[in-house]
Amino acid sequence: MGIIMMAPAVLFLCGFLVFPVLSTMVNSLYRDSPLTGREFCGLDNYRRLAGDGQALDTMEFTFIFVMASVSLEMAAGVLIALAINRVVTGRGFFRASVILPWAVPTVVAAIMWKYIFNDQYGIVNYLLHGDSLRMYSAWLARPSTARLAIILADVWKSSSFVALIALAGLQTVPEELMEAARMDGAGPSRRFFRITLPLIRPALLVALLFRVMDAFRVFDLVYVMTQGAPSGKTGVLQFFGYLKMFPEQQYGYGSAVAVVVFLIIAVLSVILVRTLGRRMMTE
Amino acid sequence: MRRLWTVLVLIAVLLFCLGPVLWILSTSLKSPGLVSRRPPSLLPDLYWDSYRMVLQERGFLRSMGNSLLVSSVTTLFTVAIGVLAAYPLSRMSGRWRGPALGLVLAASMFPQVSIAGAVYRMLMSLGLLNTFPGLILPYTGLMLPLAIWMLTSFFRRLPPELEEAAVMDGCGPWTTVWRVFAPVAAPAVLTTAILVFIYAWNEFFFALLIMTNPVMQTVPVAIAKFPGQYRVPWSELSAAAIVAVLPLVAMVLLLQRRIVSGLSSGTTR
Amino acid sequence: MAACVFLSSCGGESRDDGVTRISVLTWRPNSPATWQEAIDRFHERNPDVEVILETGPSSSTQLHDMLSQRLRNRDTSVDVFVMDVVWPPEFAEVGWALPLDGSFPEEERELFFDGCVEAVTWKGSVYGVPFFLDAGVLFCRSDLLEKYGLPVPETWGQLVAAADSVLKGEDDPALYGYSAQMAQYEGLICNMLELTGSAGGSLMEPESPEALRALRFARDSLVHLDGMTPPGILTYREQESLELFASGGAVFHRNWPYAWALCADPEMSQVAGKVVISILPRFPEGESVSALGGWSFGVSAYSAHPDEAFRFISFMTSEEVQRLFAAEVGKPPARRSLYADSLVLAANPHFQEMEAVFENAVPRPGSPLYPQVSNRLQGFLHSAIGESEGSIPAMAEEAGRDIREILDRLEE
Repeated sequence: MGIIMMAPAVLFLCGFLVFPVLSTMVNSLYRDSPLTGREFCGLDNYRRLAGDGQALDTMEFTFIFVMASVSLEMAAGVLIALAINRVVTGRGFFRASVILPWAVPTVVAAIMWKYIFNDQYGIVNYLLHGDSLRMYSAWLARPSTARLAIILADVWKSSSFVALIALAGLQTVPEELMEAARMDGAGPSRRFFRITLPLIRPALLVALLFRVMDAFRVFDLVYVMTQGAPSGKTGVLQFFGYLKMFPEQQYGYGSAVAVVVFLIIAVLSVILVRTLGRRMMTE
Repeated sequence: MRRLWTVLVLIAVLLFCLGPVLWILSTSLKSPGLVSRRPPSLLPDLYWDSYRMVLQERGFLRSMGNSLLVSSVTTLFTVAIGVLAAYPLSRMSGRWRGPALGLVLAASMFPQVSIAGAVYRMLMSLGLLNTFPGLILPYTGLMLPLAIWMLTSFFRRLPPELEEAAVMDGCGPWTTVWRVFAPVAAPAVLTTAILVFIYAWNEFFFALLIMTNPVMQTVPVAIAKFPGQYRVPWSELSAAAIVAVLPLVAMVLLLQRRIVSGLSSGTTR
Repeated sequence: MAACVFLSSCGGESRDDGVTRISVLTWRPNSPATWQEAIDRFHERNPDVEVILETGPSSSTQLHDMLSQRLRNRDTSVDVFVMDVVWPPEFAEVGWALPLDGSFPEEERELFFDGCVEAVTWKGSVYGVPFFLDAGVLFCRSDLLEKYGLPVPETWGQLVAAADSVLKGEDDPALYGYSAQMAQYEGLICNMLELTGSAGGSLMEPESPEALRALRFARDSLVHLDGMTPPGILTYREQESLELFASGGAVFHRNWPYAWALCADPEMSQVAGKVVISILPRFPEGESVSALGGWSFGVSAYSAHPDEAFRFISFMTSEEVQRLFAAEVGKPPARRSLYADSLVLAANPHFQEMEAVFENAVPRPGSPLYPQVSNRLQGFLHSAIGESEGSIPAMAEEAGRDIREILDRLEE
């Protein structure tokens, strides 16, 4: 009976996830473009990828992006959740404000941040330099600041996801426990590290897992904000794969990139689940 | 002293979360002359024409309707199928459940690029490009893993006595799920539904690839394609962004308590 | 609920009423009313054909992605598409566009500019009919030049010097010298093709001394010279660069001719009546070069109605419709005869002197692998002019090698 009930789910998962991924894996072994036709080439695409300077730049920024944005999001998210949890009046308003960025479509967020960092009309320049137009800088034109802008846009949007989950976790911290600790003379930081953190750890692990996986798949932000410019320095893997597969029509090579993204995410999440969150699966 | 700190942090949090949105709101209410003023002005001159333009001329309302339809049907499908699958999963022995959930989780992390080509070809051979099912079906596939995962972890904490009692009363498994389980699980089901809805409303990659006919476009694509050929209509773009975010803001305002309590039962422990 | 959703699928094949429906894919028009007018006129004269206009993204690259994705999957739902000037070699070689040699004969082709016809020709056959063309031109603030007694610059050096005097005289922090398209995208290639070409070099050989000279000039005298260009120039496409110029933020502006109508419209522009249009500057020992842009119509090889499709194309490229688009939207016609047309010239007085520019505009390299070549070139050009410290010759050598490698791959 259970099998029948799971059948529709299995059907969907196989049809729209498993089968397409397998077909991409097969495609990555072919040299396939409309011009040259399709021929088997073994692991050539992967060898080419290993020597492709632009791919390596892209890989570098993807890792920087994931590490920087996810760690900032975890920190900001927990901080936001702790602050909101203290609020007594207007809780609903605060919660709704915190959820808002997460409900904004990424495309909209990206356009918004592009405008915020605009070199002429952007509010960042205005806040930093006021009326001295000559001081205004083009945040999205230089590799280092463009990278910063993309990371900031992601932190804005996704910190609230972490905050939400942390807030949910905080609901499970019993007030009596905190009271008892306070009686024993434990200070705020001690209470946080000894009581709160261990109790919300499982919730944070879930958030971490989802954020890491999601950050590796970043696409919309880069697509809208920089298109990988300058010269691929702000490119990310999924955007690179898209570039090779659709605009450049190198279907096999693009598939190889897609498979590599997939494998990186798979390995990472296995490691994360194994070392940190085994309990949340089986317990 | 501690109160002061809390207040300061709260103000910072609000500025961080709402600031960018307020800036876009302000831009959406600026007249063309004020938008291109340098240095920019913080306050708008309350020029409403951009909204009128967005709502009247650009077929934007139609995109809103498309998004609403696609997102709600996706949510319906995903939650229904998800509930069906989550129930047996939650009653599996721990030895099997681990790997099964691991597989489900693995499926939820496929990068869109890795499935885009095959999904596109599949939809084309079925004649589903530029149709609502053409977007609803892949969305359901993409969102199912997360839904199953959340629902399973919630169902697992429902006491087995609940269904034992149902079975005693002579209910079959289907009735047990729909009549006994689902009502008790309503908060978790609702949270899952909200997550799926937001995802479907925001999805860009597939919408860009599949809905090429402007009549069928969803909101994110409509916005991304908004920039005219020759000028950047910043105030209209901002107005469109605000309009696109409104339904979600309304939903979040109404349901924020549910979201947090649902998440707390679905993801902790 | 579900059933009604599944039935509401959209897009039409011929129904049984004797009317053939053809689907036309174009970029999102800036002037939907003009398109509608043209299509209405076509329907009036061709009651047996119904045109369904499908609009894609407004960016050429994004439209190319969408169209090529559909054609490689043999999508039959597109009959007619617009082609950017650089697409025909690819579309021809892969077999996506139908050869039109029979229906677009030699004597008809002679009525169009040579550059436009060459752009749709690949290996001796034509694959499209030119719609309109584009060529880079220079817009100048006539009021400022007059105020400081400066002539319209003929060389790049004069442009920088003139901008410099105006900037010094005006002392306005919101005013820059030059506004152009230098984001990493197709338009950067056009801008750099013009600079390189006017130094006597070619983009295909970026390591030549002429090309290096143009690159160094762009980097040191345009992008990184304080006040000459806005800080965001490396993120500017047509829209942003025109926005700046139209709001009075630049002395000189490189763009396509369409910008004339927008600059002259007092509703959109703060510089209406203060702009003159001119040919692009050159280096002292070179000639002024304009990049050839523009669009043509092609028929999909997978179309079920190629005859009706061609009927639509030949209507859209007729004198009548090109006149309409020239007069109403300012698109330079691909047909020579219209440059003596009173209606066209009344709306676009600058077309008369620009005819020579259009005639001599230089195409980008034609190759079926152009998208790959373009991506590589864009990355190189953007780093070369963007990084003030980088070694341009080293980057150029690497880019040149990569480009030749891409082209060699085709030979195999």
